[in-house]
Amino acid sequence: MSQVAIDKTIDARGTYCPGPLMELIKTLKTAPLQSVIEVWSSDSGSSTDIPVWVKKAGHEFLYTIEENGYWRIAVRKAR
Amino acid sequence: MEQTPKLAVVLLSSDLEKLHAGALMGSVAAMSGMTVYVFVSMDALEQFRNDVIADKRFKTGTVGPMLIEKEVPLYYDLIHQGIELGNLHLYACALAMDVMGWKKDELIEDVEEVIGVNQFFGLAEGAQIMTI
Repeated sequence: MSQVAIDKTIDARGTYCPGPLMELIKTLKTAPLQSVIEVWSSDSGSSTDIPVWVKKAGHEFLYTIEENGYWRIAVRKAR
Repeated sequence: MEQTPKLAVVLLSSDLEKLHAGALMGSVAAMSGMTVYVFVSMDALEQFRNDVIADKRFKTGTVGPMLIEKEVPLYYDLIHQGIELGNLHLYACALAMDVMGWKKDELIEDVEEVIGVNQFFGLAEGAQIMTI
């Protein structure tokens, strides 16, 4: 569905809120500007909570896609 | 220079669920760029003792046992993460320490300082304060 090239994938399945977000923040800190990071989360709270954080933090939220039992959430580092 | 928003979290309860909620919000705030001061006092302070954490003497209600069973990183881990990856500071209340006769080295290493209420007010000036 998306044409975006993923620079890094974080598999945070099996962790609970705020685990996936913590992993994303850690990765964003060191990632180059404009890189696209996709987080995999099996925690449903994170699937809605991460996009809110991404927008507030000034990054670009790309999509949330529900897979079988987990979500893929993509973010572009914007600052 | 623009000042970063500040959050002060006051932990008073020894309930694992309350400690966890406060630590979680504090650590996420710290990792999101806020300056966070966590002030631990009264019954909450005992749960920051090395021996209590080593022996897992947690006080739980309904959710707490599942946090433990599912090996979710607990309050002290979340606070540690906030310190490592954000701007979080952990303080212990001087009154509770004195009354109980506890020493700073009996508390987890992440406790930066033992402070009184005036020092806390100084730090928390202009911050949103959340008491749990």
